[in-house]
Formats: sequence, structure tokens, C-alpha cells
Amino acid sequence: MAIIELHDVSKLYGFGDATTLALDEINLSVEEGEFIAVMGPSGSGKSTLMNIIGLLDRPTYGSYSLSNRSVAKLRPNRQARIRRDKIGFVFQSFNLLPNLSVIENVALPMAYKGMSSVRRLKLASAMLGRIGLEDRQYFMPRQLSGGQTQSVAIARALINNPSIIIADEPTGNLDSDSSLLIMELLSEIHAMGTTILLVTHNSGLTRFATRVVFMSDGAIVHEELTNVGEIAPTFRRNSYGLTVKTVEDDLAGVSALMKVIPDITPAKPNKNKKSNRWNKKKQPGRRRK
Amino acid sequence: MKILAANHTKTALYGIRQSHWRSLLTMLGVIIGISSVVTIVSLGEGIKHQIVGQIDNLGNNLITVRPGSIQTNTTTGALSFLNIFAGLNDSTLLNIQDVKTIQQTPGVRLAVPMSIISGPIQSSGQLFDTIPVIGSTADIPAVLNQTLQYGSFYSTNDSITDSAVLGQNVANELYPGDSALGHSFTFHGESFVVRGVLNQFDIAPLSVDADFNNVIFIPYSTAQQLDPNNAPLYEILVKPSSSSSTNSVVSKIKSNLLLAHHGEQNFSVFTQTDELTAANHILDLLTELISGIAAISLLVGGIGIMNVMLVAVTERTQEIGIRKALGATSRQIINQFLTEAVVISTYGGILGIIVSVLINLGLRIVTNLQPALSWQVMLLATAVSVIVGLVFGIMPAVKAARKDPIDTLRYQ
Repeated sequence: MAIIELHDVSKLYGFGDATTLALDEINLSVEEGEFIAVMGPSGSGKSTLMNIIGLLDRPTYGSYSLSNRSVAKLRPNRQARIRRDKIGFVFQSFNLLPNLSVIENVALPMAYKGMSSVRRLKLASAMLGRIGLEDRQYFMPRQLSGGQTQSVAIARALINNPSIIIADEPTGNLDSDSSLLIMELLSEIHAMGTTILLVTHNSGLTRFATRVVFMSDGAIVHEELTNVGEIAPTFRRNSYGLTVKTVEDDLAGVSALMKVIPDITPAKPNKNKKSNRWNKKKQPGRRRK
Repeated sequence: MKILAANHTKTALYGIRQSHWRSLLTMLGVIIGISSVVTIVSLGEGIKHQIVGQIDNLGNNLITVRPGSIQTNTTTGALSFLNIFAGLNDSTLLNIQDVKTIQQTPGVRLAVPMSIISGPIQSSGQLFDTIPVIGSTADIPAVLNQTLQYGSFYSTNDSITDSAVLGQNVANELYPGDSALGHSFTFHGESFVVRGVLNQFDIAPLSVDADFNNVIFIPYSTAQQLDPNNAPLYEILVKPSSSSSTNSVVSKIKSNLLLAHHGEQNFSVFTQTDELTAANHILDLLTELISGIAAISLLVGGIGIMNVMLVAVTERTQEIGIRKALGATSRQIINQFLTEAVVISTYGGILGIIVSVLINLGLRIVTNLQPALSWQVMLLATAVSVIVGLVFGIMPAVKAARKDPIDTLRYQ
């Protein structure tokens, strides 16, 4: 049973001439217990996709069901409760609240659930014990190293036993040792049955995933199943050197929402292709004229 | 909700500690508003107590007759109080004949004339300009329920006409560090010998009675000789024979004097209770005025809090985003920022109460005012400051809750 089901999800930012197409008719189905690594260049829509899946953002078009329930059109407070109970977020910039201690940060999602202070601090303490930071409970976030801070953020994401963890470049601000620590933590969580969506630039991290999704210009251009422990073999080919449009496409005046046809042939060093890719975002507006 | 309230309060107090100058300046409007209201209310209460105390001392059956008409029966009591002062400047003053008329009224035990003679006093080579000299009869201690600290009062059938009795402050001023008894001073070319010094009077602020601690009493007959106008009276103090008959005596005095003045109502008769009512009216007026100013101050303070909360909402956009991502509902965000606004305003209110306690202490030390601070006033002040926080905190809180989680998370 698919826990996440996206059907023709598009996201447009701005309006009029300034319209930007961030997601272009995405179809994605995630089974329970999958560990998905989402890869792609900056601006390819990875974060937007995560925000929509995490109910922080709404798709402009298309439908989104979480656990077989359509959720995209729910009221904001209902969405907040789903975020609280079913989804855990891990951010690149950690996003701990600086004026709360480590244990209070971890306990915060339970406070929004209405749990008593004693009980939630007890649970938070146990959770910090699980990630090996019980001796840092009463530290302030600024007193921790990057890896420890991100571990605390993961503990906070896990505290309400979410079925999905969304990690948007969790290792982006960390050194390689800390990155490894965080990835091992995530892979342990995955082993316990939690669905994980990981956004990353680091191809090495795909070895923890069960499936790798490549995005470019707001579309999923390629996806493949991988075995845990293996780096996605098609990584190089698909992530950076991808041709998505040719000059002919531009000249033909393809509509802004027209599906991007992935070209999976190996990239050739071609000047046009690079400039096309960088210019893509401005095109919808330009074509309207 | 109450689980989070403790959390929010803690966060708010942390915020106040973090930026204490900004918080203090934010609270300033509330502090000024609350402290002025609490001070003026406690001052009013204190003055009322003091007036009641003074009435108890002078005897609540003391009747005062003054020249000039006072409409004591009007509903606007505040105006009648102002008329008391107007009466003092009236040209048609009372005279010794009126004292006799009152003395003959049934139910009157004592009636004493009160006449102020102006002029400088010379004592051991020094001139004193500001000491009022009152010509009165020997019954004055009995009328004012007062005894002498030492010496004796001049008597009615005294052959010596140039003796004087001093109020306590005058005695201290003229003869510091020395017993005033037997000393002499010169007034209008006449030499007076001090025969006695009165005990301290409890005189309340806002009282229309003269402060008898600061006057010199001389016999009325002597005053008549010294004053070219034959010593007109600014008031006559009357003591009825029994305190229960005060009101009936007042009406009898009125009718007798009216008869003696050929039907012209150019005098007024009032009791200590009337004086209390008049003082209450002026205090109420004062309280209303200060409350109005305090309300403006609270409004400005509230706007200050709103402004700072709006800044805080912008500053903490990312925090709002994180909290929303963790599952905070709009109501929970509203509660958080509302709690913070209420904590700031309540903090200000409590500081305002503390400031007013200090002002009260200072007033007690420096002046003869005795402000009385009641817990009801403090409770009301706290409640008002909570309301200010709620009213002016709601808009920023709603603004915070309406923020889009995705924009707030991206905000740096």
C-alpha cells in the first residue's frame, strides 16, 4: 500500500510574467518502509516536492494522498495535526529553537499534542538516550557540535513516532564524519520501518536508500531501485549532465506546463544545453509575450 | 492549552530577560499608567481617611459659619465646595453681633469668633511675615477639642489683654529649642507675652479649616483694638450642647441668622460632614482627571506593546515556521504570542504597582499625606494590565499565526 501518492502534482510560483514552474506534473508513489533519496541540481524542485509531501505547501494542480486520504485540500490546522503526528522534519540548517534546551526542543512536538510536561520530558530524555546524547540534555543548542545538533533535530523529528521522515539535505552543513553519523541514524530509523525521504546532493548517500529519484527542472527524470549499501549506478549520467531541452524545443514554443521529456542519452559537452537549463525558469513568462 | 501556557510564559520571561532594555521601554507606558492610577487612588483614599480622622479629632459636631452664600443643597456638590472658597473673599463679613445671635440659639453650647489680623510679627529682632494671627475667645480649645501642651489659655475675664497662645509649629519657629512660655513678641506695635502652647492638631490635606498648628491666638477684644476695621470674622465655630442635635442646631442657627440679617442669605452654615462630602467631590474630580491621563498612557503603552510584538513576529519568523512544521496549530501560535504580550504588560503593571508603592512611601516621608494602598486597587491594576496585553497582543498574534509555513521556514 502506497503511503504517499502524488498524481500530476504541479506547483507554480508567482503570477503573470513572473510565473515560475517549480514542479511539473509529478507522479510519485512511495510505499511504506521505503528509503528514497531525491537527487538533482539546485532549483530542480526537490525542496518544493518535499514541502508538498510534508504538508507545508499546497500543490497548484494535481492530487496528493497520504495513507490513502486526500490531504492537499485540508484546512491548515488539520494539516498541522497531520504534520505533528505523521511527519518528522529534518532540515539542513537544523532549525532547533535557540532559546530552548536540547531536551525542551525534542519535547516540543509533544507539547503541541497536549502532553504533560513531566511525561514529555521523560520521553524526550529516553529519545536522546537512544541517539546517545543523554549527557547533553540540558545543553543549549549553541553548545553542541553540528553533528550533535542534527542528531537532536532527528530525535525531535522522531519523538511523535511519525510514519514518514522528510530530511531535506540533513548533511549539507556537516563534515563527512558527522554526515556518516547522521546517515547511520537515519538508516537505523529506516530499519525500524519508518519511511524516509532524503534530499541530497551527495551521491555517496544513495547507498543508504532503497530507491533513488532524480529530478531536473521540476520533473522526475529518472528513478531506479538500488540495494542498500550500493551507490546508484546511474547517478553520474542522470544528475548533472542531463539534457532536458534543445534549442528546437524553445523555437517550437512549447507550453510552460508541457511535460519535460527526459533524454537519457549520455550528455555531450554542448554549450547550448547548459544555457538552456539555466534559462528554463524564465521561459514561461517569455513565451507568453 | 494550560500545558503550553507555562511553556509560553517561560519563553516570554526569557525574551524579557534577553532584551531587558527593549522590554523596559515597551513596558514604560503601562508602568506610567498603572503607577499614576494606583498612586492617585491610594492618595485619595488616604486623604479621605485623614479627613475622617480630623473630624474625629475636632468632633463631628463642630459647626462652621462662614460669610457668603453656599448652596449646600445643590446636587452638584463639587460646585458647593468651590463656593466655600468664594465665601472667604466675600465683602460682607460676619461680626461679633452674629456670634451673640448664635450663642442665644437654643442647643448651642459654645460659639467662638475667628478673625484674622494681618501684619508682621517681630520677635527677638526677627520679622515673621507669614504667621497668621487669629483673634478669638477663651473657648477655642473646648470648641476644637484641643488641650495645651504647656502654659494656660487666656480667659474671658482676663485683665491682661496682651497675652497670646501659639500653635506648635509657630512655637518651634519663633523660639527654636526653647520653651516659648514667657517670651514676648511685637505685633502692630503691641507687645504680647506667650502664655501657652497648644498640642499638635491633626490637620488633613484639602481641609478648608486653617492649619491651627501655624497660627497665634490672641484675645478677640485685643484684636478689635488692633484692627481698624473692628476685626471682622472670617468664620464662627459653633459647638452644640449634644452631638445628636447637630442638624437641628444647624437649621436653628440658619433661621436665627437669617432673621438677624434681615432675610439676606449672605452666610453659610455647614458641618464637618459637609466638608467631607466636598473633599470627596474634589478627590473624585481629581481621580477622574488622572485616570483619563492614565488611560491615554495605557493606550500609548498598549500601542508600544503591539509595535514590539509586531517586530518580534517578524524577527521570529523562522521560529514560527519551525513551530508550524512541528505541528503547531494557528491557535497554538496565537496563544504563544498573546501570552508573551500579556506577560510583558502584566510585568509592566506589577512594576507600575511597585513604583506607586515607592511614590507612596516617598509622599509619607516628605509630606503630611498618608496614602493608603489597598489590595483591591492592586488587583484591579493587575487586571487592567492583563487586559491591555490581551487587547494589543491579539493583532500581532493573529499575524504570526497567518504566516505561511513555507515562507517562514525559508526566512533568514
